[in-house]
Amino acid sequence: MKLYSIRVKGHLGAMSLAAFPEMVSQQRGADCVLTGVLPDHSALFGIVTQIEALGLELVEIRLLVPNPDQSERKG
Amino acid sequence: MAVDLGRGHVAVTGLVDRERLLSALDQALKKRVTLISAPAGSGKTSLLRTWIGRLQGAYRVAFISARSEEDEQGFWLVLLAAFGASETPVPVPTFNGANAVDRALTQLNQNNDPIVIVIDDAHELTHDALAHVAKFIADLPAHAHVVLASRHDLRLGAHQLRLAGEVAEIRAKNLEFTESETRELLARSGITLSGEALRTLQQRTEGLAAGLRLAALSLAVDSDPEEFVAQFSGSNRVVADYLMAEMLERQPPHVQRLLLTTSILGRVNGELADLLADTTGSDSILLELEDANAFVVSLDSERTWFRYHHLFRELLRLELRRTTPDLVAELHRRAAEWFTDRGYMVEGIRHTQAAGEWQSAAWLLADQVFDLLMSGQHKTLQSLLEAFPRAARIDHPELALVDAALESTQGRFEEAAQHLDIAEREAEKQPAEEDCGYRVGIATLRLCLARLRGQLDSVIEQVNYLASPAGARRRSGTPLSGVLRATALMNLGVVEMWSGRLADADQHLREGAELSEKIEHPYLRVSCLSNLGFASKVRSFASAREHSERAVELAHRYGWENETIIAPALLTLAGTHIWAGDFITGEKWLARAVKLTPPNTNPPVELLLHIVSGMFHAGRNRLSDALVEFEQAQRMQSLMLGEHVLASQATGWAAATKARLGMLADARRVLAEASPERAATGELRNAAAAIALESAEPDEALAQLRDVLDGRAPIIHDFTLVEAHLLAAQAYHMLKNEPEVRSSIEKALALAELERLILPFAMTGSRELLGKLPRHTTAHAALVLEILDMLEGWPRAGNGLSTPATTELSQTELRVLRYLPTNLSRSDIARELYVSVNTVNTHFRNIYSKLGAGRRTEAVERARQLRLLAH
Repeated sequence: MKLYSIRVKGHLGAMSLAAFPEMVSQQRGADCVLTGVLPDHSALFGIVTQIEALGLELVEIRLLVPNPDQSERKG
Repeated sequence: MAVDLGRGHVAVTGLVDRERLLSALDQALKKRVTLISAPAGSGKTSLLRTWIGRLQGAYRVAFISARSEEDEQGFWLVLLAAFGASETPVPVPTFNGANAVDRALTQLNQNNDPIVIVIDDAHELTHDALAHVAKFIADLPAHAHVVLASRHDLRLGAHQLRLAGEVAEIRAKNLEFTESETRELLARSGITLSGEALRTLQQRTEGLAAGLRLAALSLAVDSDPEEFVAQFSGSNRVVADYLMAEMLERQPPHVQRLLLTTSILGRVNGELADLLADTTGSDSILLELEDANAFVVSLDSERTWFRYHHLFRELLRLELRRTTPDLVAELHRRAAEWFTDRGYMVEGIRHTQAAGEWQSAAWLLADQVFDLLMSGQHKTLQSLLEAFPRAARIDHPELALVDAALESTQGRFEEAAQHLDIAEREAEKQPAEEDCGYRVGIATLRLCLARLRGQLDSVIEQVNYLASPAGARRRSGTPLSGVLRATALMNLGVVEMWSGRLADADQHLREGAELSEKIEHPYLRVSCLSNLGFASKVRSFASAREHSERAVELAHRYGWENETIIAPALLTLAGTHIWAGDFITGEKWLARAVKLTPPNTNPPVELLLHIVSGMFHAGRNRLSDALVEFEQAQRMQSLMLGEHVLASQATGWAAATKARLGMLADARRVLAEASPERAATGELRNAAAAIALESAEPDEALAQLRDVLDGRAPIIHDFTLVEAHLLAAQAYHMLKNEPEVRSSIEKALALAELERLILPFAMTGSRELLGKLPRHTTAHAALVLEILDMLEGWPRAGNGLSTPATTELSQTELRVLRYLPTNLSRSDIARELYVSVNTVNTHFRNIYSKLGAGRRTEAVERARQLRLLAH
């Protein structure tokens, strides 16, 4: 289980956000940042594939915290 | 799988002509491959559709869109059809990618007219499929060009091609709409914007095709287009998201409902749309939407089936789930019912699963196992099975049949057997009359495993169950699927055949072949016919040959010459020819069978293969080679449970050949180790007699032969009897009882006449005896001549014919030819011509070769046809 933050270009409306129920979204400037805990790599690539399917522009993927249960969450 | 040829259809409707891109594509035709790599919504498919519209006439076009969840075989079959294969390509249970590529290339090379092959959605190809496509491209003929459209770059191994300048590329940047193209797009929908608004729109969408088209749909009905653009540019929202929402909002409610409810479907037609949206007249709406270029595309030329643009559909689905989540399961349920009622079982099962109705889905899937297996849709079967959550797999043990089926295709026989046990326990819980389909499925799969592993004993119950007229109804009351029943008959027939129940096998395989023909399942038909050849030897060789030849001919028609299913047919043909002394033809069939039977994969078939090989060597007096083959046949028997129908033949001939090689102690040991049942067979008695003869014990030989000659010993076929009479003749000869010698030979000839069983005369070493037979005392003079011809014509260490330089007969050969229609033997002819028998043999060999004949009568016939001989 790892905490990821994924940044895509543009703000996601309700329609697009519905594709990422496991993530929390925040608008940061002209981008949207999705944050969430994903169980494994397959889940991560699932999110990436969904991003591709929606034609979104992927800006950045970050691994925030390797073991969120044990260490503090970062903002 | 009804091969969905619709995947090969591409609707060509009026879209913006993007000249610069269209001419780029035209230019790219000079190279081998064009790669279009750009995200969803960039307008790849639309561009290709327009371009294909312009190409038609100058180029043949094959279009296919790749699908993620389907078996690769379907992909290649659609391409084959598009390349102009005359016979509708049919799927086989065992797909081989390399063969598919070869077939596609071969088909492509049949026609040198320039052709463009477009593969859309290439990112959906599996890793393996992509590797095969790469191989296909590497060997592409010069008159063909491939275009691949994908959302991301593909690993095609295109590096070499790139270096050679064979690859053209179009990327996202190229696909972006320019300002003037934007203007034209809007103009087509009757929209004019101020220059500034136009630029804003173009920049905000970054020229994304989907975005612009969505915008156009909204702008076309908006009262204040300039304001729309202003609002749009003021928002930070992702383009597709914003514009999609705007576009939907502007649609009349019934259209919104239509779009949203049908978004759960992979493909939609009017009737199905009406059902989901609780309305009527959907087909005309769909047509209108396509005409308005609103992201709807027809899938066939009659425009009855449609699908939505991927991105469009994706967003609609999300919106449906977000706004009316409770409706989703119900929609899937309705769609499931519609599809299953019409026999679209795979889609039906998917929707049933999506509706969360796991019980129904489990039974539906169990029912479909054989249909999917026999059409090679293993991957589909696997993905349908894996769609069940783990809890559902436990709650529904009937799925164990599916597990077993998949494992049997992967060669995991132990696991398959265990899953069948689970499935059987489940079947027992159901009332007997209710669930035939499931039980038949279990029984069939057990037989299939038994067949593959050569375990003939263990399946008596299954055999009895399937052979009984145990109704033919499924749980739903519908009759058993034809595929299930035909597969059951095939497996049943094959197991019966190898266990020696040839009459039953003949009946069931015949039934299976007829049923397969009726339900138009060529693969099952070829399987049944291929085995029927061997099984029907019990009726006649002619019948055996007919079925085998039909099987081979059919296999050829569908491009299955290298499939192992025709091995039994090839071996039967080899066998019947070798029995008749036609070694040339026999060897050809045998060689083909050897090539397509990998060792240790199918013991029963391999046993037959080794017997026929042994017969071939024995007939040409290569005893050591023959012995090797007979011992291999015995080894195959040892890998099996239950007695193979030819087991006694293998043992008998192994022992007899050892005796003839002088290995008397070994030969006796082989017989001593045989079970009492096998020892009582005619085949082993004959072997015992052969050993006795080699030991110069003619009385002992006759004693062994008594039961065979009296008809008391069980025999496989009359050839054992012929053999017995010949061995008796040799015994009588040792006892100097000439009348009995003649009598025995006469009996042998009489039996051999019908099916031309010439081989026993060779294998028993009866040449001398036959040669001494006064010609006038026999009623079978022609047969005798032919046998002698065969026996004398093959030199001891011969290994085949030498191919003469020309096809014309030389003077000497013509002279010899004139003796062919007479009843003079080769030695007689040699005397007439004052040459040695060896010389005559050489001439005969060459004559046969030049005339393409296998034996004397055939050579005479050919010579008469060619007017080298008078009639």
